[in-house]
Amino acid sequence: MSLELLRIAAALYLVAAAGYILYFARPRHAVAARFGAWVLAFAFVVHMVAIGLACKEFGGLEWFTLRGGFVLMAWLIAGAYLLVQRFHHLPSVGAFVTPMVLLVLVPTLFGEGGSPGVAPETLRHPALTFHVISASLGVALFGIAFGVALMYLLQEREVKGKKFGVLFSRLPPLQSLDTLTQRLVRLGFVVFTVALLAGQVMAHKVWKSWDPQQVSSVVVWLLYGGMVQLRHAGWHGRRYAKLTMVGFALVMGSMFALRAVPGFTLHTGTYAPAVPGVPPPRPGGAP
Amino acid sequence: MSQPLDLFLVGLSHKSAPIDVRERVALSGEALKAALTELKGMEGVGEAFVVSTCNRVEVFVQASGEGPARHFFTSRAEQATEHLYVKQGSEAVRHLFRVAASLDSMVVGEQQILGQVKEAYGLASAASAAGSFMSRLCNRAFVTAKRVRTETDIGKGATSMSQVAVDLVEKIFGDLEKRAILLVGAGKMGALSAKALRVLGAEAVLVTNRSPERGQALADQVGGTFRPWEQLEDLLVEADVVIVSTGAPTFVLTEALIRRAMKRRRHRNLCLIDLAVPRNVDPACADLDEVFAYDVDDMEKAVSANHEARRGEAVRAEAIVEAEVMAFAQEREVRAALPVLVELRKRAERIARAEAERTLSSVGARLDEKGRKSVEAMAQAIVKKLLHQPTYRLKDAAAHGDSDLPGAAAALFGLEEQEQPPRTRRAGGHAAARPAASPEKTK
Repeated sequence: MSLELLRIAAALYLVAAAGYILYFARPRHAVAARFGAWVLAFAFVVHMVAIGLACKEFGGLEWFTLRGGFVLMAWLIAGAYLLVQRFHHLPSVGAFVTPMVLLVLVPTLFGEGGSPGVAPETLRHPALTFHVISASLGVALFGIAFGVALMYLLQEREVKGKKFGVLFSRLPPLQSLDTLTQRLVRLGFVVFTVALLAGQVMAHKVWKSWDPQQVSSVVVWLLYGGMVQLRHAGWHGRRYAKLTMVGFALVMGSMFALRAVPGFTLHTGTYAPAVPGVPPPRPGGAP
Repeated sequence: MSQPLDLFLVGLSHKSAPIDVRERVALSGEALKAALTELKGMEGVGEAFVVSTCNRVEVFVQASGEGPARHFFTSRAEQATEHLYVKQGSEAVRHLFRVAASLDSMVVGEQQILGQVKEAYGLASAASAAGSFMSRLCNRAFVTAKRVRTETDIGKGATSMSQVAVDLVEKIFGDLEKRAILLVGAGKMGALSAKALRVLGAEAVLVTNRSPERGQALADQVGGTFRPWEQLEDLLVEADVVIVSTGAPTFVLTEALIRRAMKRRRHRNLCLIDLAVPRNVDPACADLDEVFAYDVDDMEKAVSANHEARRGEAVRAEAIVEAEVMAFAQEREVRAALPVLVELRKRAERIARAEAERTLSSVGARLDEKGRKSVEAMAQAIVKKLLHQPTYRLKDAAAHGDSDLPGAAAALFGLEEQEQPPRTRRAGGHAAARPAASPEKTK
């Protein structure tokens, strides 16, 4: 049931993306962007219901897998963009963000969703739920920042290269894109810090050693933290946009790379069925 | 008997006449109103409407000839005669539509002209010179202009250097709130661009120049503040947009200077617009991060690219104009056929009634109420059946632009000899004079 709803949400995201892209291609049709925004909001609600249903079906545990994390992240990207839209009127950003939502969501639509097994008692802790949600939100914000930074670089190339073509007129001013990137990075950093702290509490309790995912998360955290600092030192523009993109690439890359080697990270979210006498399974977590 | 009325246009524009002729015949406000009243009062003029801007003076009259419109010009300036163009019928309609859609403008696609045509129509309407025909014509012109504006990109893209500068600065900074523009040198182009940039809401305009007198004068002219030349580097830190147009033969803003300024600016974006020839900004500056530098060539390239794009869009716009001209002509034909139809029906019904009465007066006494009703109904039914096919044919012919058939019908049924005002019988003319016969109201 939740999967069907998720597919409906994905179809709606597709329609919203089409609206935003049509607006981007033909700015004359401002109505397309407004339509896209409404459909996006609707898709967000459907997606929310799907998540709620899945929680009921699987006891909320499927969010601790990579797949579940993606479902959550796509929802959060959409939600974060809806929020951004309220404060920054840049409908052309939608043409870049909505395809990202789809990109994250579509792989989760195939295969079977559902409970990855019975999670151990140690995982039934509010800190873990909090960790998963905040980490997904942080990455979602970094994801939007990635899209906006990409727009910045494209526009910078137009403006600097004196190509006053199609992109030049369609993309927003550099200043707006730069400000938006910076705000997203800063907000993402705050949320990610909280996620890391919550994760640390759990990890300390359950594992005794450091997990590779923890290490890479700290690296990502340091990178974005450095960016927040550099901003105060006057960093912005192209270098900042590039760093933003590198940061997100690192987040995504580490998530996949670490899981590509079986048993390398404990953040897999797959559990052995709980059998008495067996050492407590390791907690998993979304990115 | 008066001649049939048609639409005539007599005019001159930036394409046909020099400015000194145009300004002699251009009118506005009360003078234009008086001229409209005078035009309307002339022999053979039904309605009139005058578009008078700095680039064109065009007189549209619905009249029996072009004479009155021509007189408008010749009475004002004798030398106007050789610059006049005359158009009639759908040629004149097409011309008005093209003007309103800004296809005939000096800068194709500029926005002002539509407002000017609207104003001109408002004035003609207020002076009672424009009636229902001009109203329909002008409304169609406005619809055409709006379609062109929304369905093509003809109004897109800057077409002057200062407009390109505004576009560029807008794409870098968004707006210029809490930012300053710096004018280096007292060139005319620089002042123009600075004025254009004011639309972006710059907080301050700073002016610097080697000679303080000229610098001060320019500052007064653009509403800015003069700063001594020695402060140039500080000014480069303070301002975000720098417009350079000095007469110096060398680079005034060298790469080293900009590099220093950028460091002090903590690499905030800086836009350098070099309007001087020879150039005053070292092209190497453009390679620095966060420096956006443009010279006259770049700006001109943008202008010509936009002109090129507008020409492309103009082709699409012409197609829209053509469709609207045809639609308007068709509408006119249908209207032209209507008076004939109404007249025909009226006449036939009158005959039917008269004949029924005659019959009833001779044999009516032998009939009861029901019988008398039947006789009347029969007469009406014959008329209806008889006229059904001609009505259909006439409407159809009119809708397909065949203006001969209504005229032929009028001749065939002898409607020409009726005692009616001559205005309703224009062959292929405008039915405007008979509002009662026009079921559709103007939009």
